[in-house]
Amino acid sequence: MRLVSGSNGISRRTLLKVGSAAAGVGALGALGGLARPALASSTSATITFAYFGDPKQATSMQASLLPLVKKADQNADLKVVGYNGTDWNDFFAKILTQIAAGAPPDIVGVATEGVQLMAGKDLAIPLDDYVKRDMSELKEMFDDVDPILIEGLMYDGHLFELPVNFNAGNMFYSTKLFKQAGLERPPENWTMDDFHGYAKKIGALPDVNAFDWIVRLWGSWTSFMYANGGNLLEEQRFDNGDWLWGAAYPGNDAVKTRKGGWKWGAPTANSAPTVEALQLMIDLRKEGLAPSPDVGGGGTLQGLFASNRIGMTIGGGFWAGGLHNAGMTPDSFDVQYFPKWKEQKHLFGVVGNAILKSSKNQDLAWEVVKQLSAADAFDLQFPGNATTPVRRSLMTAERYKSTGPEHWNVFYDTLTKFPNTTPIPAPPYYNALANALNRRTTEAVASGNAKSALDGLQKDLEAAAKV
Amino acid sequence: MSPMISRARVGRALGLVVLIAAAIIALGPLVWTLSTSLRTPAEAFVNPPAWIPVNPDWGNYSAVFEQIPLLSFFINSVIVTGLIVAGQTATCMMSGYAFAMIRFPGRGKIFVLFLATMMVPLQATMIPVFVLIKWMGLANSLSSLIVPALGGAFGTFLMRQYFLQMPKELGEAARIDGASPLQVFWFVYARMAVPPAAALATLNFSGFWSEFYRPLIFLSDQSTYTLPLGLVGLQGNLGTGSVSVVLAGVVVALVPSVLLFAFAQRYFIEGLTTGSFR
Amino acid sequence: MRGEALFGYAMILPSLLIVMLFTAGPILASIGLSFYSWDVISPPRFTGLDNYEQLAADQTVLHSFAVTLGLAVSIVVLEILIGLGLALLVQQRRNTFVRATFRTVFYLPLLASASSVAIVMGYMFDQKFGVINYYLGLLGIPNVPWLTSDFGATATIVIIAVWQQVGFAFVLFVAALSTMPQDVLEAATIDGAGPGHTFLFVKLPMISPTILFVAVVGIISAMQLFDQPYVMTKGGPGYSTTTTVLLIYQTAFQNLQFGYGSTISVLLLLVLIVLTAMQFFGARKLVFYQ
Repeated sequence: MRLVSGSNGISRRTLLKVGSAAAGVGALGALGGLARPALASSTSATITFAYFGDPKQATSMQASLLPLVKKADQNADLKVVGYNGTDWNDFFAKILTQIAAGAPPDIVGVATEGVQLMAGKDLAIPLDDYVKRDMSELKEMFDDVDPILIEGLMYDGHLFELPVNFNAGNMFYSTKLFKQAGLERPPENWTMDDFHGYAKKIGALPDVNAFDWIVRLWGSWTSFMYANGGNLLEEQRFDNGDWLWGAAYPGNDAVKTRKGGWKWGAPTANSAPTVEALQLMIDLRKEGLAPSPDVGGGGTLQGLFASNRIGMTIGGGFWAGGLHNAGMTPDSFDVQYFPKWKEQKHLFGVVGNAILKSSKNQDLAWEVVKQLSAADAFDLQFPGNATTPVRRSLMTAERYKSTGPEHWNVFYDTLTKFPNTTPIPAPPYYNALANALNRRTTEAVASGNAKSALDGLQKDLEAAAKV
Repeated sequence: MSPMISRARVGRALGLVVLIAAAIIALGPLVWTLSTSLRTPAEAFVNPPAWIPVNPDWGNYSAVFEQIPLLSFFINSVIVTGLIVAGQTATCMMSGYAFAMIRFPGRGKIFVLFLATMMVPLQATMIPVFVLIKWMGLANSLSSLIVPALGGAFGTFLMRQYFLQMPKELGEAARIDGASPLQVFWFVYARMAVPPAAALATLNFSGFWSEFYRPLIFLSDQSTYTLPLGLVGLQGNLGTGSVSVVLAGVVVALVPSVLLFAFAQRYFIEGLTTGSFR
Repeated sequence: MRGEALFGYAMILPSLLIVMLFTAGPILASIGLSFYSWDVISPPRFTGLDNYEQLAADQTVLHSFAVTLGLAVSIVVLEILIGLGLALLVQQRRNTFVRATFRTVFYLPLLASASSVAIVMGYMFDQKFGVINYYLGLLGIPNVPWLTSDFGATATIVIIAVWQQVGFAFVLFVAALSTMPQDVLEAATIDGAGPGHTFLFVKLPMISPTILFVAVVGIISAMQLFDQPYVMTKGGPGYSTTTTVLLIYQTAFQNLQFGYGSTISVLLLLVLIVLTAMQFFGARKLVFYQ
């Protein structure tokens, strides 16, 4: 240790060393800044498209969509980003964060859960004018898509998205367990009593949950609620949708019942049919036919079903791919319509693409949005039957051969056979509703009292609706 | 043998039993994770679990790399954690030393200020930090994670404690010999601070490597995701991912930390052992 | 000496800058935001004390504090007791290899990210098919509703947090125990003190500074509990595992009420200051410095 004699106090070297340390701190920050996603600076416009799904598809989608973007504007660029998450809540938190950060995407893939939030908060633009202008081009799409799905993307008479995929809540069952319990495939118009009977027979098998469910808005006890003629919010409709129906579905009787989108009214969380539905789940548990649902949203449901621990549960087209990933053979599970209680009424959610108001390239974004709804774009975005296509033409036996189920037709026929199929209640305050629903549901199951929990939910929703 | 001795022996044997039981509890979930990651999803719920799988399915591990850009997450985590640890070790050593060894006006008051900020949880300031980051133009980048973490009150506090225990005479002797304060720091005390600095670095490493919340809020672009955040993606859209693959991802994320700890354990444990807290 | 003072300032400058900018500044901003209503999309709206009035009447927030406090105290107390107990037992071992192995084993859980732990525990604690209930079943204990009941979910969070955090307390106690001056211990034995007596009146006071440090850091960390409730229980069942920070996150980032979220944050800050001050005050009576 050699000590250098000489100056005392701050020497130039000291300042240099300390100063460079401070600069080093700054440099470290700058270095991290290099990792910032690069936005092409030499192009005139970059369209950013964000969707909720497997991010793996982003690169291939970007590659195939880019030529189209270039065709519309030679100097434009396209950036596709996919976000995974356990629920739509996570995805929305991300998108809103981006908006707050001043770097919003131009196009966002939004599901029913968020359509009204985006429309109501003026985040997305209505596509009416574009649709009217390009109707000749879009006609074939409308021919291929059931109007129920289109109305699901409308708000206040305006269309906010072009649809891409959807999922209706059907009843999935394990063919193995059914066979073991000596049960045949349930008929299309089976009732709640039938369902109960099936559950009892399966429940007699060892180490098995006759029925299982998770706590969430889509395909939870909410399916039972719909079948019982109940809902969380009053079911009303907007008017002023006729501009679309006349142009897109001329002469089609099916659109007679279509209006201008779902207008979710006052909360009805503690109405009799709703309470009855939740109480049914509690009763099923008491009878030992269904377990208490896992609180976190149940990443375990798929695993349990795949290990043949669950007889029946609610799923949608997305499970064709999901169960396949979990190792199930195409013939080990199948699907049927949801049973009839007071009515045979299914819930569904639909996903489409919206253009954000903040986008500086709306015309260009519209070109991309149209392309994303094209028939050949579906499998690019959602390979492996991870969800159900909105296009009837894509529902083929070929598609479901490798994954199953055998009665894949149920997925789309839910729309064609049952015009009363209704979207999940997703008002502009969806996030607050979802959180409150989850909380109160688990509370009800834990306490065994559906009525008091739903009274609480009613209060939560009334408060949320006011904000 | 007198009763006193055999009672002590029984006590020690009991102690070992308790330790082994505790070790089983500590390791249990980790071993379960590893063994389940080598089986199919359907077997994840088979009880009793086959702790050592008969036909280990390594495909789950390759699936991890196929399903998520694990390498990109890994690199991001390395960059973020590495820079934070390097930065904090440097700044905390400097500030800890100054608070312990250098007299300057307001030293006491500024140190209390430091301590006070330690008592504020990250989430309480998350919103304004987020706005600040957006204003600074750092949003959506790794910088948003790195820059705010380059200084730390906890690290400063820790280093100060250790410097306080070092003999002041050495520094005084060097000053008498004519060394500047910087030279005293660099040549006398800095090397003695290596063990606690290594301890701080290791603690910081595991802390920031496994960080979930700040990346969740600050990062929106998947290309910037760090490991813990990216792993959630394995759970799949609407929960359609495979359990075994999810667990394989957890194992893969754990390995670097374990390796680093095994390697640095010597410095880490010794670092803490050379200083006691006042 | 003037030069020395400048040197001191220069040395603390980087830390000070970062901490002031990214912690102290945001604290002030957070306090400021608490007087506004802001949904991120539209400009902030000044609302004065409205948020605070809302807070006073908001059962959910107050409940979350009760939940968080309960969780924090349980976790830290267990952490200290188990950590200290294990440290004493490990230090008793004469074989260095055995000591080193146990030290590694007990530190390992700390290295996994909280969200990974939550995923794994979600599977292990499943009521009907999880591993834990399976082995408990072998002991004759019926299926515990870990994640499906109020008490079960709370207990699960405590168990998981303690499992993960014990290593931190453990290592610090090992360090404290191994640096205890032998002469004091020998004097106690010569004076005729038994092992229990030695522990209570000699060892314990000597490691009390470490206990204080672990308690302070532990409470601060546990009051920030977010990862486990967020991934495992989403705050449920009901509101039984909704920690304050989870509530802040949901209020701000999901319900788009950044202003109100800041108000809750301010309350949390005050609570933490009080808690820490209480601990240091109590420490004056109980903690022994050499």
